[in-house]
Amino acid sequence: MRLYANSTRCSGCKACLVACSLNLFQENNPKKAALSVIPHFPAPGVYELKVCTQCGDCAAVCPTGAIKQNERGAYYVDYTECNLCEACVPECPESVMFVRTELANSAWKCDLCGDCVSVCGTDALWIAN
Amino acid sequence: MLNGYGGNILRVNLSTGKIIKQPTPPELARDFIGGRGFGAYFLFMEVPRHTDPLSPENKLIISSGPLSGLMIPGAGKCDFTTKSPLTNGYASSSLGGHFTAEIKYAGLDSIILEGTSPKPVYLFIDNEKIELRDASHLWGKGTIAVEKELKEKLGEEFQIAVIGPGGENGVSFASINHDFGRQAGRGGVGTVMGVKKVKAIAIHGTKSIPVADPEGYRKAGMTLFKACKDAEGLKPWQSYGTTIVVSWCDEVGALPTRNFSAGSFEGGKNLYGPVMREQIVITDKGCFGCPSPCGKYSRMKRYNSNVEGPEYETIGMLGSNLGLSDIQDVAQANLLCDDLGIDTISAGSVIGWAMECYEKGIFTKKDTDGLELKFGNTQAVFALTEKIAKRQGLGALLAEGVKKAAKKVGQGSDKFAIQVKGMEQSAYATHNATAMLLAYMTCDVGAHHNRAWAITYDLQVGRDKVVPEKVARVIWLQNFRPMFDVLGACRLQWVELSIDRDLYVPALAAITGIHRTWQDLETVGERIWNLTRLYWSRENEGFGRTWDQPSPRFYEEPPKTGVTAGQITRYEDVQRLLDMYYEQRGWTSNGMPTPETVNRLGLATFAA
Amino acid sequence: MNATLRPIGVLKTYIDNKAEVTVEAGQTVRACLLRLGMPPEIVALVLVNDAQQPKDYVLQDGDMVKLIAVIGGG
Repeated sequence: MRLYANSTRCSGCKACLVACSLNLFQENNPKKAALSVIPHFPAPGVYELKVCTQCGDCAAVCPTGAIKQNERGAYYVDYTECNLCEACVPECPESVMFVRTELANSAWKCDLCGDCVSVCGTDALWIAN
Repeated sequence: MLNGYGGNILRVNLSTGKIIKQPTPPELARDFIGGRGFGAYFLFMEVPRHTDPLSPENKLIISSGPLSGLMIPGAGKCDFTTKSPLTNGYASSSLGGHFTAEIKYAGLDSIILEGTSPKPVYLFIDNEKIELRDASHLWGKGTIAVEKELKEKLGEEFQIAVIGPGGENGVSFASINHDFGRQAGRGGVGTVMGVKKVKAIAIHGTKSIPVADPEGYRKAGMTLFKACKDAEGLKPWQSYGTTIVVSWCDEVGALPTRNFSAGSFEGGKNLYGPVMREQIVITDKGCFGCPSPCGKYSRMKRYNSNVEGPEYETIGMLGSNLGLSDIQDVAQANLLCDDLGIDTISAGSVIGWAMECYEKGIFTKKDTDGLELKFGNTQAVFALTEKIAKRQGLGALLAEGVKKAAKKVGQGSDKFAIQVKGMEQSAYATHNATAMLLAYMTCDVGAHHNRAWAITYDLQVGRDKVVPEKVARVIWLQNFRPMFDVLGACRLQWVELSIDRDLYVPALAAITGIHRTWQDLETVGERIWNLTRLYWSRENEGFGRTWDQPSPRFYEEPPKTGVTAGQITRYEDVQRLLDMYYEQRGWTSNGMPTPETVNRLGLATFAA
Repeated sequence: MNATLRPIGVLKTYIDNKAEVTVEAGQTVRACLLRLGMPPEIVALVLVNDAQQPKDYVLQDGDMVKLIAVIGGG
């Protein structure tokens, strides 16, 4: 199971980002979300979505084993074991492995909670095999 | 900690350069809630009586609301309040996009611009780092280029609000632009920002917004999103946005045609929503948190340009109102207004008025700098839009707004200056639609539609009926709809998707920790409505019934063409509507809140 | 020769809250609405096979007609 995104359907509303930060950190802070909404304006005038494909490349390179798999089979970061080495960040092919020390003391990533899908009004996000 | 709020009021004195932050008073949040409520409060309390709107004593109050930036549908509305240079009264304009959310993440609720800067500046806010920066390299540039430049320089996460040459040059209806296509358009809010020499505000915040009951808020938010996603009208609304009503307005005689001389347009079919979508729309673009994006980002191949729009108002005012029937041309006119930073509605109105002056021989080519200012002349529209933004030639006259322009020109041109209180009427022709006409007459900022959209009610009850139910409906809509601007969220999920408005109640309670029903909110709405009415009266000698009169076109000139040909409202009915309105509002026969009403609404200290 | 009418949202009240109704082809959309007791003026948009048509459009066999109400605006 993994998250899928169709950028052509994205309207840039970022509701997904707030839902995500609420899930990961219990905070209303879209800058602490684990997917990216990238606007390309004024030209060509489209939004680009980047989501975690659960490829596992981050887990493979994590030296502390902080990136584990949850009950949904998704890779997630155990905040207590992350040492902020940032080895995972360049490994992510979608650039959705996040380290921002001004915002959190750990790396963070998508744990496939599905809340982003629940709030997306344009069917730009969905979960499937 | 004020749950649901950014927590601070930021005051920027542009004359002295002093910037201070004060905690948001809990009583203010309790009584005026946020957004437009904060705007009305600060305007009334802090801008001295009879202040010249262009002077340093005027303030531009920019406010987010308790729903803004949270997991709530449409949580992206920002209020801009000031004393209007266009009307000399209350101005409040609502901006969508992502600006309001960023205000909350920066730990703020209101940003108050005071004084006047000696040099062009932009306000830079990055969490705690707040400063005024030199904007001389940005001054003179269009809004699109400046937003692009600032985002590239400061970072994509920054949200930008920017004025164009229109605001810099003092056009009375200058707009404030954001997110490459959203505006705080009406009433000259951009004019005030321009005279204060603030080119832009660039804001970035990384704080979280606190809520009182996180579980309750999450549940209520998810319920609201589900209601939107389950709404049957969602897909058509997402496809067309506000353009969904273009064809309907044309059919029922509400589409303003050739300076509101008629209500349907023979070229209208080329402007309908599905035609527009097919010809130019490339992306459905939404504001913060919106599951039902109404924005239509368009590509005009003929001009090699892009614009967010045109939406209904712009199609009406720059399209049918000017006799333009090609959607690409209307979209290009839209872009010019946005980039130059002037309100498309007021621009369409003054240009339409000027075209009628030309048609009647009041203007000749000498007055129009050689432009053949005929209805349907696209190139003339483009050229005149530029002149207005630069206040050159005929543009200088039009830049003052249609009421002042008509007063200067005379020759009976005031009879077809379509405005109320000095604000140009927006895009619903009201030759025979008395509820909507009343809505325009009594709207608190001038002739704007967004408080009480009542046209369907006219059709349900009977167009020409002058009955108390219509008046009651307008009043209810006026007390209710603007509360979304107070809460900092969009009303269109309720308006267009028909979601149950009571779903907002548990969300608001869980966020703020204060339980409010819609009845409570409408009482606040009624209070603010009366406060701004008192404000108009305080600022304008002789304010009252005469200021609520509509353009004579709607009681003297039945359309000669179209669906409403031969139909008109009677003058006596216009006055009867006002009589009923004042009575139901608890106002005197001259349209002022009575002492009983003032006391009932807790406004005694304001009225003193 | 029949067409299918699918009123969206509040308009369903005019067809006993059913999802859709079969109507005779060969009549205009307007005539069809009047027969159902639905005032044409409250219908904002008529989409026939997903393309907008005026209310004078004559229904063809097999047409799928979606009706969108003017709920609110502004």
